Amino acid sequence: MALAAYLPGLAIAGPAVKEPAGYWMGASHGPVTTTLSGGTVIHTRKLAALLQAGGVLVIDVSDAPRRPANMAADAVWLPLPHPVIPGALWIPGAGQGAIAAPVDKLYREHLALGTDNDPAHRLVIYCHRNCWLSWNAAKRAISYGYRNVYWFPDGMEGWRAAGQPTASAEPLLP
Amino acid sequence: MGVTRRLAPVLVLGTLAVLGRSAATCAEDDSQAIMRAHAAEDAAERAARWQELQHAIFGARSLQDGAAVIQIEAPEHALDAALVPITLTMKSAAPIKSLYLVIDNNPAPVAGHFTFGPRADPRTVKLRVRVNQYTFIHAVAETPDGKLYVSQHFVKMSGGCSAPAGANDAEALKDVGLMKLHLLGPFSPGKPLQAQLMIRHPNFNGMQMDPMTRDYTPARFIRTIDASYDGAAVFHLDADISLSTDPVITFGFLPDKKGTMQLVVRDSSNALFNHSFDVPAG
Repeated sequence: MALAAYLPGLAIAGPAVKEPAGYWMGASHGPVTTTLSGGTVIHTRKLAALLQAGGVLVIDVSDAPRRPANMAADAVWLPLPHPVIPGALWIPGAGQGAIAAPVDKLYREHLALGTDNDPAHRLVIYCHRNCWLSWNAAKRAISYGYRNVYWFPDGMEGWRAAGQPTASAEPLLP
Repeated sequence: MGVTRRLAPVLVLGTLAVLGRSAATCAEDDSQAIMRAHAAEDAAERAARWQELQHAIFGARSLQDGAAVIQIEAPEHALDAALVPITLTMKSAAPIKSLYLVIDNNPAPVAGHFTFGPRADPRTVKLRVRVNQYTFIHAVAETPDGKLYVSQHFVKMSGGCSAPAGANDAEALKDVGLMKLHLLGPFSPGKPLQAQLMIRHPNFNGMQMDPMTRDYTPARFIRTIDASYDGAAVFHLDADISLSTDPVITFGFLPDKKGTMQLVVRDSSNALFNHSFDVPAG
């Protein structure tokens, strides 16, 4: 529709970001690029259709809240339940610019398990809108040898805004 | 594309943003019915969240509508979600014993609990907080007889909880505990006076990454602030990770005569910072 043509420039404050050659090492939240070399950028409607067709492993790489050490014992700590695209695995940390070795191992293992070791299996990686973590994690999956990697930059915000269903998930941590 | 043609979508976006939606995707899936259904679902979720928090914070105590008691001011969109200025104003002269600031969708929702002492003028309190998601903010005023009055305000910003505190950890910890106090009006014995307290402290919340080392910075945040005037309490603040880096707190007090404002700040590593300021200054 006509309105959509105006929106990319408005949704992202400032000029579009050029795709980095390596991993994004800046702040994870902020204007993102619109392309992913070696992968496919997908938006809500096409993603819904892709999931309908099946045979897709979906990974959410959003950060998980961590209760800080030394918080008062009686302080209220109540993170919101974490909504994911139904069936998605939540692997916080997999989208950091420099990934910690234990998270790298965990990420590889879950990808291998979820794809039956098939590098042609379709992967969808997402986090939030304006979030680089999913871009990094998608780039990383491509570097592992996966050939059908989709990056979903609309994130959970876009998914929910489209009225798509969600489920609750617990984070997979090393 | 002309300037005038850009205006219309801006207005539409303003409307969509009220519903807490992503602008980019609303255009792709613009069914009004879905939007309405979703807004209702969100409203129900937000109400349920507040119910849950109310129970966690206040137990079985009942809260009354505080629209006539306390007002919350916050910018509609802050430039920086890690630095959102909040102003709490008492709308009546009724005495207030304590004041809670709750940011519903933050993982540690109780951003601050002020308990006022005999030298306090609690009519206006300002502070700067981190906001993680689109969220309701609730302010709860407690009167001396134990009644609780609640007001709410919706803010639309996100990302404040994992924003880096500064250039790097070492830089952020430089001069930690340094304080400044500005009196915001002329000193006159017996007249209430507003003061602005600035504390140098990174208030690391444990979810930020050091841009240099790329490791999560361990949490280190201000837990309590005690302000007293010539030994009589002005306020005690129980704070948490939702306070911004380098907290700035504006509060009122009642100086009966020239004296000394003493501030004691304790952080989660048990470091104690102690400063005294002459009132009036100099």
